Amino acid sequence: MIRFQKKNLLYKVYTWLPILALFISVFNEFDLNYLNIDYFSFNFPFILIFYFALKAYQKFDYFLVFLAGLFNDAVVGLPLGISSLSYILICIFATYLRNITISPNLIKDWFYFLFIISLINSINFSVLFLFFSYELDITLFIVNNFFTFLFYIIFSIFFKRYLKSLDD
Amino acid sequence: MAESRDDFIIAIRSAFLKKSTKQKFSLLTLVFFSVFIIVLSNLNFKAISVTKSIIKEIVYRSSFIVSIPENFIKSSYLNLTEYTNFYKEFKITKEELDQLKSENISTQIIKSENDELKSLIDGYTTTSNKILAKVIVDHESPFLRSIIINKGSKEKIKIGTNIYDRSYLVGRVIEVNYTNSRVLLLTDLNSNIPVSIIPGNVQAIVVGNGDKKGEIRYIKNDLINKIENKGIAYTSGTGSIFKSGIPVGTVDLKDENEKILINFYSDFTQLKYVFAEIDELVPTSVETKENDQTEVSSNTEQIKLDLISDELQILEDSNTKFLEENKELNTLTNELNKQIEILKAENDFQKNVIQQHNLDQEELEFLRLNLIYSSKCQSKKLFSTGFKVGTPEYKECIMRKGKISD
Repeated sequence: MIRFQKKNLLYKVYTWLPILALFISVFNEFDLNYLNIDYFSFNFPFILIFYFALKAYQKFDYFLVFLAGLFNDAVVGLPLGISSLSYILICIFATYLRNITISPNLIKDWFYFLFIISLINSINFSVLFLFFSYELDITLFIVNNFFTFLFYIIFSIFFKRYLKSLDD
Repeated sequence: MAESRDDFIIAIRSAFLKKSTKQKFSLLTLVFFSVFIIVLSNLNFKAISVTKSIIKEIVYRSSFIVSIPENFIKSSYLNLTEYTNFYKEFKITKEELDQLKSENISTQIIKSENDELKSLIDGYTTTSNKILAKVIVDHESPFLRSIIINKGSKEKIKIGTNIYDRSYLVGRVIEVNYTNSRVLLLTDLNSNIPVSIIPGNVQAIVVGNGDKKGEIRYIKNDLINKIENKGIAYTSGTGSIFKSGIPVGTVDLKDENEKILINFYSDFTQLKYVFAEIDELVPTSVETKENDQTEVSSNTEQIKLDLISDELQILEDSNTKFLEENKELNTLTNELNKQIEILKAENDFQKNVIQQHNLDQEELEFLRLNLIYSSKCQSKKLFSTGFKVGTPEYKECIMRKGKISD
């Protein structure tokens, strides 16, 4: 196991890793859809934001999440502010869940996450379709929603290890 | 009951308003910010569009830099697969190249003819200048299909500029910044392309299916049967969204859902460089001349008089031409008659020569036979069986080789 000297530059970068990963994923549109599997895609920022907002990770600044949303809109070509709103709503729901939960349970979080992303994707779809007249394929949204839900459990294992490594 | 409601309100309030020590803004503030930006970005104020443009410039450049490692891995993988099929593809490509070279010549001729006809119909010619642009961001969003190119308003790119991969249509520009632009690909669900399909010259609209193909929509039912598999779809130019005559793709009728699909010529996932066509309208000389004339002769009477005088002038010109032609023809006839006379004289002379030659031949034959048969045909005093020399009977006898007739 790699151990960092605290106050070391590398350690500081390591603590900022979730935010870095978030920015890299929005700039790079990390969703593995270049694998050319029909309809396959998932939303990595949703998983990352929900997990770290739920765990109230101190370096996870909401303003930076908001900025990441703006960048995502610019990269993808959506109207500015749509992704920011989605990301902030995820933060709000995650914070609410944290506040009402006494003993955290991964499976409960997982299904709550499904409810949240379904709601937010529905809002996104409705806003884009009704107010911006975008032609969108609802199947893509549903499949994206489903795979994001599935991948949450996998990524949460890695994120848990990451947080544990920081505590150590 | 009241307690649980209080808990709920406290949790909600805490989620929205409570700000931990490290956070600069509460979540509620950020929600308002987001909504504010969404509303603001839809207003067409210059300051907002400039700010949006600056943000996008920075984001696109950053995205390009961040994507370098991923793009490197992707391109390495593609290069590797290309090398394995290199020789086979080379042979096929060589054959195709030979065929295309021959086709290219006829295409150029047709193109120049087409340009001439267009300039006559429209009254102006379009001078197109294709500039090379690099694709800086090509992240395929699952919902939207677009790319970012490194050419913008600085290079006269406008909204609607047609984008090509070689000579195939790729899409059109939907957003322009100073040094870069966003191109909506033909595969996007929001992309509508008016096309003509040959054979049959069927007019239709191709809509992107959000994946890799296009789907033919908005077509009359009775025309569906006219469409053949592998038929070629090219832009019809209807609606002036795309220029006419640009190859789009081939028809694919093998879809399971009985949809008529279009296989685009270009693979939009492999775009590295594209061409942006910048058009400028140049009025033709015919057009300018016509415009000048219309300005001078403003009233209809004048226009009519001009037309009649033009007609008269044309008639006079043609009359003079006919007279000149007539004169020329007369001279030509005289010359020909003279030639006929000469030829007739020559003919008579040659006939005489032939006749003389025949007589000479006959005389020569007589003399030759005379030497042999003269003794048989000459008259003798004792036996008067022959003829006197020089008489026609004597000549006849010689010619019959000494046989005396009864």
